[in-house]
Amino acid sequence: MFLIDLSILFGISISTLTILCIVLGIVLMPPFYLILLALEKTLLVAQWAGFSVIRFILLVFRSLQRNLLRTALSYMAIYVLVSVVVMIWSVLSFLDGITTEKQEDFKVLITEKFQIPSQMPPSYEQRLLSIIDELPPEYRMKNGEMDVMTWAFVGGTLDPTKQTFENSIFFFCMQPKKFPTMMSGLEEFTPEEMAELNRLIDLMEKDKKKVVIGTGRLEKLQKKVGDRFKMVSLNYKDLEFEFEIVGTFPKGSRYDESAVMHRDYLYDTLRDYEKRTGMPHPMANKCLNLIWVRLPSKEAYSALAAKANESGSFSTPAVKVETESSGVGSFLDAYRDLINGMRYMVVPAILATMALVIANAISITVRERRTEMAVLKVLGFTPGMIMMLVLGEALLIGVLAGGMASSVMCVLTQAQGGVKFPIAFFPAFKVPYEAISWGIAIGAATALAGSLLPALSARRVKVSEVFSRVA
Amino acid sequence: MTSKPPCVQVRNLYKSFTRGSERIDVLQNLTLEVPEGEFLALMGPSGSGKTTLLNLIAGLDQPTEGSIIVGDQEISQMSESELARWRTRHVGFVFQFYYLLPVLTAYENVELPLLLLPMTKEQRRKQVLTALDLVGLSNRLSHRPGQLSGGQQQRVGIARAIVTDPTLIVADEPTGDLDSKSADEILKLLETLRAQLNKTIIMVTHDPKAAERAQRVLHLEKGRLVLDTDNRLAAVSSSWS
Ligand SMILES: Nc1ncnc2c1ncn2[C@@H]1O[C@H](COP(=O)(O)OP(=O)(O)OP(=O)(O)O)[C@@H](O)[C@H]1O
Ligand SMILES: [Mg+2]
Repeated sequence: MFLIDLSILFGISISTLTILCIVLGIVLMPPFYLILLALEKTLLVAQWAGFSVIRFILLVFRSLQRNLLRTALSYMAIYVLVSVVVMIWSVLSFLDGITTEKQEDFKVLITEKFQIPSQMPPSYEQRLLSIIDELPPEYRMKNGEMDVMTWAFVGGTLDPTKQTFENSIFFFCMQPKKFPTMMSGLEEFTPEEMAELNRLIDLMEKDKKKVVIGTGRLEKLQKKVGDRFKMVSLNYKDLEFEFEIVGTFPKGSRYDESAVMHRDYLYDTLRDYEKRTGMPHPMANKCLNLIWVRLPSKEAYSALAAKANESGSFSTPAVKVETESSGVGSFLDAYRDLINGMRYMVVPAILATMALVIANAISITVRERRTEMAVLKVLGFTPGMIMMLVLGEALLIGVLAGGMASSVMCVLTQAQGGVKFPIAFFPAFKVPYEAISWGIAIGAATALAGSLLPALSARRVKVSEVFSRVA
Repeated sequence: MTSKPPCVQVRNLYKSFTRGSERIDVLQNLTLEVPEGEFLALMGPSGSGKTTLLNLIAGLDQPTEGSIIVGDQEISQMSESELARWRTRHVGFVFQFYYLLPVLTAYENVELPLLLLPMTKEQRRKQVLTALDLVGLSNRLSHRPGQLSGGQQQRVGIARAIVTDPTLIVADEPTGDLDSKSADEILKLLETLRAQLNKTIIMVTHDPKAAERAQRVLHLEKGRLVLDTDNRLAAVSSSWS
């Protein structure tokens, strides 16, 4: 299910993103010209300070106004392509970030080895603890049992007659007290939000029917804090739960769509089922989906992994022990080719296209203006100055369009608190603020690359050839 | 009469172009002098090398052989950037087709060469206004070339040529694209520049009437000087007869 979500996310992103960027680029064209105009006016005021350099820059501005269509074309090329490149880079560095090993918060993940989804017997928790007890003391958890967290996924609907996406809910079934120390992403919470979370956890620990549900999910369920509701489980056949909502996760956090319930409530309900029917529930021995353990070091992880793989430790089913990042990494393996394809083929191809479009537009401009360049030379402009004028035009469009594209990307993703992956242990994806400087740099660099040849040919314009009648 | 050094001294000038394997000798063994403050016209059939000679004197191209001294500087040996810097201060160029920058106003067009000189905004302004006043266009400062008539554009062109107060003004068929009335105004203007500011002017023209306004006319044919007429002497002799 995670895989499907992610593939949709990636699949949509490339094509939608490009279309979105084109639309954004067109929408932002008037602001682009307004900024150009505003800059020009500013320079007009500034030139009273007497710098003749400003006059040169003004000349560059004026030249851009000469052919608005061509300027627009170069602008669009840079805008769209910088947007896409910045987006791809951001996704790549984001994925790199979550697959890089964390040194200080070294979490390992224990799941069933040969089956997805992983479904382990609940007794595996105790067995794991006793295996860890056999490890040398320096390899054991620092906080004992508080460094071990189990997850079970319980999904269900509020209306079994007509199940929809809106009336469905999916719970992380765990020990609430371990939430503050074991869940990731809490560093994004403010102190007030943390205090509220701790209050809710106390309530849940006292009454196992109490649950916390993310704001976004709560809205879709059309419920509010204080409501009670009945949920018919879908993956635990014939089980019904009665919950009371005691609170929500902060709006816009990565837990916006998540819900947390007490695992004892699941265990009790499974036991009730057995009492009622005289038979254990089919899922009773499969209700442990994964176990998280925080270990002091990488060596501790290796020791535990070796021990867990010894015959007899965990046999039916066998388990695998992974670090958090390798866990996420193997989960992303399916996309690695896609990601590498983007990194090594799409991005360079985009940059090359961009440079070509600009090179074309600028060389047309230069060809049209050969006489004008010759006149400037007659007036005493040196070849270097002529070259700077051409490069300056490209640079101005490149910097402005690149800066606009990356700022818009950045502001759009930052404003909504990031693009959320439908996976709770993934942080929300945002285009970082540094991307603005990359955007400017990419825009400027490609504009320069594209205008270099035309600028060199402008530099070489021979006055005597332009003005004498070459029969 | 004290003999002042001439403004332009051309000695044994050769210029040839190679196109492919073909060599075209455009100017051959040309020698001439233009005294300071003279208004000289260059005439000759098409292809005789008038523009080529003018470009060489104005430092837009380098000769194949021979020397060119303008003012007190030998310009035939200068590099392209040195020539560029030299032109800004010493030569004003007037073109047949004006060649104003269409995106700049009349004021900005005239100011353009001054941007290359170390001047304050105020100094530039003073000089631009003086030049535009001299050509009678002080009321068209913020017009763009497209909003001006041909004669007016050429006057802006002349203002741009004189704004740096150059030693020498060269003009390649400055009236070639104008009606006779506008052409007459332009020629008057050139005469005024010579008479009031003592500018040295070299003008290429096909029009004998325009050439009459100059003090001296040189005739070029196949890259050689064939005739040197002094209008001042002609005027004197005609008044005698
Ligand atoms: N850059 C060049 N390369 C090759 N040949 C050239 C070049 N410039 C001029 N020529 C040749 O030199 C000869 C003289 O050209 P120039 O332009 O000086 O003539 P002109 O007297 O000004 O003619 P017109 O009256 O038609 O303007 C011509 O045959 C021309 O083709
Ligand atoms: Mg000519």
